[in-house]
Amino acid sequence: MASRIVTFDLGGREVEVMVRPMTTLQSVLRNQLGFTATKDGCRQGGCGSCTVLVNGQPMLSCLLPVEDVAGQRVTTLESITPAEGLHPIQQAFLDAHASQCGYCTPGMVMVSKALLDHDPAPTDDAIRHALTGNICRCTGYRPIVTAVHSAAEAVHDAADAMRGSAGERAR
Amino acid sequence: MTVRTYLLPRSRPEALGLLDEHGPELLVMAGGTVAMPLINEGISLPEAVMGLRLAGLGGLERAGDELRIGATATLTQLLDQDAVPMLREAARNTASWSIRNMGTVGGNLFTPPPGGDVAVALLALDARVTLASTRGERVLPLADFLTGFMSTELAADELLVEISVPIPGEPTAYLKLGRKHASTPSVVTVAARLEWRGGRVTDARIALGAVGPHPIRAREAEQLLVGTRLDADAIAAAAVAAAQGCEPFTDGIATDWYRRRMAGLFVGRALEQLTPGAAGEGR
Amino acid sequence: MSADLNVVGQSVERSDGIGHVTGRTRFFGDRSFPGMLHLKMVRSPLDHARIIGIDLTDAERVSGFVRALTASDVPHNLYTILGLIGVEPEEEFVLAEDRVRFKGEAIVAIIAESEAAALEAVSKVHLDLEELPAVFDVEEALRPGAPIVTSWGNNTFMYEGHPCRRVRLGDVEAAFERADHIVEGVYNTSPIEQAPVETTGCIAVPEANGRYTVYTNTQALYFSLDNTAIILQVPGNRLHFVGGTVGGGFGGKVDVIVEPIATLAAMKTNRPVRFAYSRSEEMQVSSTRSAWRIYIKDGISRDGHIIARKVTSYADSGAYSRQTPYALTKHAANAAGPYAIPNVSIDAYCVYTNRQPTSAMRGFGVTMASFALEVQMDKIAERVGVDPWTIRFINAYRNGDMKPHRKLAEDATLIETMQAAAALVGHVLPDDLRAMTSAPRDAGPDGGRD
Ligand SMILES: Cc1cc2nc3c(=O)[nH]c(=O)nc-3n(C[C@H](O)[C@H](O)[C@H](O)COP(=O)(O)OP(=O)(O)OC[C@H]3O[C@@H](n4cnc5c(N)ncnc54)[C@H](O)[C@@H]3O)c2cc1C
Ligand code: FES
Ligand code: FES
Repeated sequence: MASRIVTFDLGGREVEVMVRPMTTLQSVLRNQLGFTATKDGCRQGGCGSCTVLVNGQPMLSCLLPVEDVAGQRVTTLESITPAEGLHPIQQAFLDAHASQCGYCTPGMVMVSKALLDHDPAPTDDAIRHALTGNICRCTGYRPIVTAVHSAAEAVHDAADAMRGSAGERAR
Repeated sequence: MTVRTYLLPRSRPEALGLLDEHGPELLVMAGGTVAMPLINEGISLPEAVMGLRLAGLGGLERAGDELRIGATATLTQLLDQDAVPMLREAARNTASWSIRNMGTVGGNLFTPPPGGDVAVALLALDARVTLASTRGERVLPLADFLTGFMSTELAADELLVEISVPIPGEPTAYLKLGRKHASTPSVVTVAARLEWRGGRVTDARIALGAVGPHPIRAREAEQLLVGTRLDADAIAAAAVAAAQGCEPFTDGIATDWYRRRMAGLFVGRALEQLTPGAAGEGR
Repeated sequence: MSADLNVVGQSVERSDGIGHVTGRTRFFGDRSFPGMLHLKMVRSPLDHARIIGIDLTDAERVSGFVRALTASDVPHNLYTILGLIGVEPEEEFVLAEDRVRFKGEAIVAIIAESEAAALEAVSKVHLDLEELPAVFDVEEALRPGAPIVTSWGNNTFMYEGHPCRRVRLGDVEAAFERADHIVEGVYNTSPIEQAPVETTGCIAVPEANGRYTVYTNTQALYFSLDNTAIILQVPGNRLHFVGGTVGGGFGGKVDVIVEPIATLAAMKTNRPVRFAYSRSEEMQVSSTRSAWRIYIKDGISRDGHIIARKVTSYADSGAYSRQTPYALTKHAANAAGPYAIPNVSIDAYCVYTNRQPTSAMRGFGVTMASFALEVQMDKIAERVGVDPWTIRFINAYRNGDMKPHRKLAEDATLIETMQAAAALVGHVLPDDLRAMTSAPRDAGPDGGRD
């Protein structure tokens, strides 16, 4: 039962963990690294609360042996939370009351992040389709879909503003 | 859950070698979306596991009039290709985004019903599977590969390495009924493909999921369609035959009674999509 | 709006909102403690069986195994859920003694260094069980000769010496004789799992001062503390329960099942112990809303007034009653619906079967009554030949009406609520219904009924 050392990129910093065979990324994040934003609703792939991004793609950390992501880029909710204030998606979830007990929220935000990275102006259908693997038992999905729409707008506005100020600097 | 060895081979020969060396006790895992839940829950307690994620068995390419799908190509890759629209539709109807990013096409052939939504499409497309071991390779039709509930032709020292699909020239139809719109276990899944000459059906494939021990062909319904113009009577007769011929089961999703009724209804709907001039044509 | 109100009418940011969207909210399971052990249950694979023997030898050999707990380790081996609200008898064992009554019943608690080791040890506990006949249907459970689930000789919860909760007003049989229509219906509902996204669990931590801190996601913090104190036979002040952060409950987390055994494990090992349900335990072992079977017979006059209603209900409590006897009492009080009916007879049975125990969920027995009654109301409307709105308006209770359980209706708002609902869905009510109010019948504009 030899343990192994696994190294991966967690939100821009390299982490090194010693793990027993088949330890899941979920367990490493939560139990070894204390990154508990990644949740643990089922360990069955059924709830989406443990969603993280691996190289920008949403995956379920409960079904992923950490050895499979050695050398790869893992993004969790901690990694997208800015030092000050909130990420536009987080702000949108807060404003839209898209979170009640909050247990599904980290997974919802991570999938929304991946979606907006792929598709900056998703339709209602695209949002619903992206989030089908994430279960929320409290809020009802409408505020969540609303939040993703308004986050898309906010990200868009922020990008516009960035382009604007970059343009000014260039001038 | 106390796995003592986790092997992550970096190539196909390494994977086959490890399988040979460790023997039948070694649990093979591709995307892990079926195997991991069982391990996490303590239902499956393997001592040694081999993960195929890095073994170079993925990829997906069009070669002439065939689509070659590596066994560990992900369901997302299947969704992103456009050579075979039916397979895109099948992938779209399978699980959710994250699961599709992890789960593999090969793994879907081993998934017990009501899973196997991609396998249903592959069955209707006359897919062939390539099995490899240190002894060599063999190729068989998918229809012969699936032998029973959670059982296949795969020998203990073999890996499924590739699935090849003749690219269909004619329109196809794929329908899945679940209890909600997406990310849902199947009540029944239907994949249908017809060949035509002179306004008559010359060959038919109808595959059904979640109404048997594994994805099955509705052979009697297929035969009833050959020679017809796919008129309402022919469709109705095929739907009845498909419903009668399947072996539905009861689970938390649906009763056997409901599954049988829906098998008939959805075979009918799939065939209606394939009638010349129907809106579903060209999907 | 008054100027000195600073919350009413304002949008107030939730105190836990930032925590939720950043993932910094600390759920019980986000905590961990040095030396923390993990508890997993050995559960009955059978629906009903006598326990002949338990063999722990192989489990004890698993690397990481710390110890096992069986019934004899539990000071007061009975849950006190109902006892605490004055409903007896206590009947559910913390760990099974001589018999298991449902598939999934806890028999042995395994404590180990890791979850993996605990699961492996669980798989190596050998149970010698003698299977007994089981019963899964409420009415079959009441037939003579049915397998008996309880320890008191029949399969019903006893309400003051009666096998059912009874409500009586007037004389239903005489009213049925007079009625112009009789409408009967039988309504079945399935058990429903609350299915919170966070499963039930807790961590019990021994403190240096001899107390135990228990971090839990219970929906009933002090209830859970009292229950634990009684089961462990320790004064309440040795326990410090920390809760309030619940990842969804919906009634599924009022059963206070995990805390006593986790705390006992912490006492016996003097180490922090975590006990959290797996998803399948949450679905298959934790209590659900009961399945109900409800028979309704109504007598109705030609003009649509319900003059008699007889209801016979069966709640499938499962193997143990948890909070279902209480839910059933609420059900019985509401089983005639929000309608003024002069003759009512209700018999509501809380029945034991060999199914998963049942408990609270959103509405506590009333939801199921409403489902059955409102479908029944539609049937009545169809039979009498009036529309579904009218049948409800003319039967709606008003202030001063006597409810079947002998309480006068006060602050009735059903009529006004239906009027508002009609407006919201754009349904135009006829003038007579629009003019109705909940004012007492003799004072009302239409001069009361009958
Ligand atoms: C929440 C959820 C929803 C799902 N929804 C659906 C759905 O809607 N439809 C559906 O069809 N499925 C569904 N699934 C099941 C599953 O995700 C898919 O069937 C997927 O394609 C399985 O592939 P995998 O690579 O993850 O399988 P794995 O778990 O890796 O493999 C399962 C088993 O197959 C065998 N195996 C796999 N690949 C090989 C190989 N190359 N050679 C030899 N043996 C192999 C091994 O014995 C392995 O243990 C769902 C799963 C989850 C968790
Ligand atoms: S914990 Fe991973 S999907 Fe539920
Ligand atoms: S807010 Fe509770 S599960 Fe979504």
